[in-house]
Amino acid sequence: MIETWNFLLAGFATALQPANLMWAFIGCLLGTAIGVLPGIGPALTVAMLLPVTAKVDPSGALIMLCGVFYGAAYGGSTTSILMNTPGESSSIMTTLEGNLMAKNGRAGPALATSAIGSFVAGTIGVILLSLFAPLVADLALKFGPAEFFSLMVLAFVTVSAVLGASMLRGMTSLALGLAIGLVGMDAIAGIPRYTGGVPELIDGIEFVLVAVGLFAVGEALFNVLYQPKDPGSRNKLTSIWMTKEDWRRSWPAWLRGTAIGFPFGSIPAGGAEIPTFLSYSTERKLSKHPEDFSSSGGQGAIEGVAGPEAANNACSAGALVPLLTLGIPTSATAAVLIGAFQNYNIQPGPLLFQTSGELVWALIASLYIGNVMLLILNLPMVGLWARLLTIPRPQLYAGILVFASIGVYGMRQSAFDLFLMYAIGVIGVVMRRFDFPVAPVIIGMILGPMAEKQLRNALSISQGDWLVFFKQPIAATFMLLTIAVLFVPMVLRKKGVALSEDD
Amino acid sequence: MTKAWQIGIACFVLALAAVFGFGVPGLPAETGYAGIGPRFAPATISIMLAVVGVLLLVQALTGGFRGFTDVLATVPPDARGALWVSAGVLLNAALITRVGFVLAATLLFVCVARGFGSTRPLRDAVIGFLLVLPVFWLFARVLDVNLPRLFNDWL
Repeated sequence: MIETWNFLLAGFATALQPANLMWAFIGCLLGTAIGVLPGIGPALTVAMLLPVTAKVDPSGALIMLCGVFYGAAYGGSTTSILMNTPGESSSIMTTLEGNLMAKNGRAGPALATSAIGSFVAGTIGVILLSLFAPLVADLALKFGPAEFFSLMVLAFVTVSAVLGASMLRGMTSLALGLAIGLVGMDAIAGIPRYTGGVPELIDGIEFVLVAVGLFAVGEALFNVLYQPKDPGSRNKLTSIWMTKEDWRRSWPAWLRGTAIGFPFGSIPAGGAEIPTFLSYSTERKLSKHPEDFSSSGGQGAIEGVAGPEAANNACSAGALVPLLTLGIPTSATAAVLIGAFQNYNIQPGPLLFQTSGELVWALIASLYIGNVMLLILNLPMVGLWARLLTIPRPQLYAGILVFASIGVYGMRQSAFDLFLMYAIGVIGVVMRRFDFPVAPVIIGMILGPMAEKQLRNALSISQGDWLVFFKQPIAATFMLLTIAVLFVPMVLRKKGVALSEDD
Repeated sequence: MTKAWQIGIACFVLALAAVFGFGVPGLPAETGYAGIGPRFAPATISIMLAVVGVLLLVQALTGGFRGFTDVLATVPPDARGALWVSAGVLLNAALITRVGFVLAATLLFVCVARGFGSTRPLRDAVIGFLLVLPVFWLFARVLDVNLPRLFNDWL
């Protein structure tokens, strides 16, 4: 306990250095901006910013990238409330009540409750992260290859089976990602596989290329093909002051949202979709004013904004627990963040707290600071962000694709990569069109080679005995959980819950 | 139409399974202590692709993908817009090393904006150029990322 406190203080000392404060601020700024803008999400942004890692020191760059990851969860609500389209898929629930409140002249309080709720949840989330992460890391130190492999299998299955309308399509996406991950040098024996003799492929296919192709090019093509050209109407921004009644109704929702969001973030369930949905339905059930909810034809219930927004942010903080302590990504954005660590030859995992303790604690400290920055950015300055929504779609998508091409080209100065990016974008459109989730592709591609390595190591240790995954208690638990998870979607679907992914 | 697409997707997945499956025998067979070697993961993944491919094909042939309502089936896709966007991305890829990043990216900007319905290409060119130029300076001069140039570090 005391130890954690000391580490955290040291972390603050690093995070408060002017350069790192600046990186945190840039990250929060960018994160909020892309949260507000439709068509560009945190996974894509982090992927496009990866060239920065070539020049900036690890703590600065990672602080910034985490700021983006974090800030996007704040910015998404602005779009949901002011336009009837969620800026991020995790803000879909906010759209229901938030947009309704805005239509009835209460955009200000809706924005305020989501910004303050995000702050409350984010801060509690980071406190929980500071407390739990070292414990999980200690526990994970006892993990051998068998435990890691079974944990990764669990991650694969939850990410691809729980999300989306079809387990089969999720598994197809995962298989595609795993197959892409096979290209390149095998991690144990160093044998090149599926390179077709192309020297560029020995290092594997860059996941940045795949992420940018799927998220930027795929998204742009999909939108130009299928979305109406005229933008929806915008709601007017009103004073952000919340009444006493608003406060009274908001704070329990914030706390409940946090309690739901954090644990869901920390398990590999693919982002903030499920917790925001659960928080929304909880608030609707518990509310003393059910008549305000959209389903009863009301004027918009503030709890329905406060809860999901808090859940969304707590989930972002929770996602950092497995990311930092186990090296397991729980969403596409988290997977790309792992890539950022790897660019510095830092492998997130239980050893991270020992080998790069200073960096991790600086990162955690910067999240506390980032929350304060984001509150300021999102509350008094919300009017400025709302103006981003006036960027016309043609120029917005043109800009996104320009940045996408810089991100891809900048990696290894190859025009061939730009063609490949387009081809992957076309696959992305077909996937979007026929409802194949995209996140399992990214996660499969990053986690696949790691899982293969763990599997082969585990079997080397056990002399080829496959039962090792069921003999060791921790590994066996993960395997049993994996089997259980396969049944979750059936239960959810029976209840009529349709989940979509968070990109 | 939807059915043809779904069958196509299933066949694409099966083709991938074949590509990865046929590559397996070319990999070294040695297994060491683990009992599995470099062949194991490719073989498993190609089997996985084959299984999901067959299941997708069955679904496509028997009433379509499950849990999927094709709400977009009746929306006429804006093919012309998509052509403009594609042209922008592909022209950028083809020209970037010849005319430099700034001009290629400006062209990309104009094409994509045109695809999304902008009717003022000249104005888009100006906006694109003014957006791209400082980004180019940032990357070329500050971050040392080598973006192709037309003349020097400034353009």
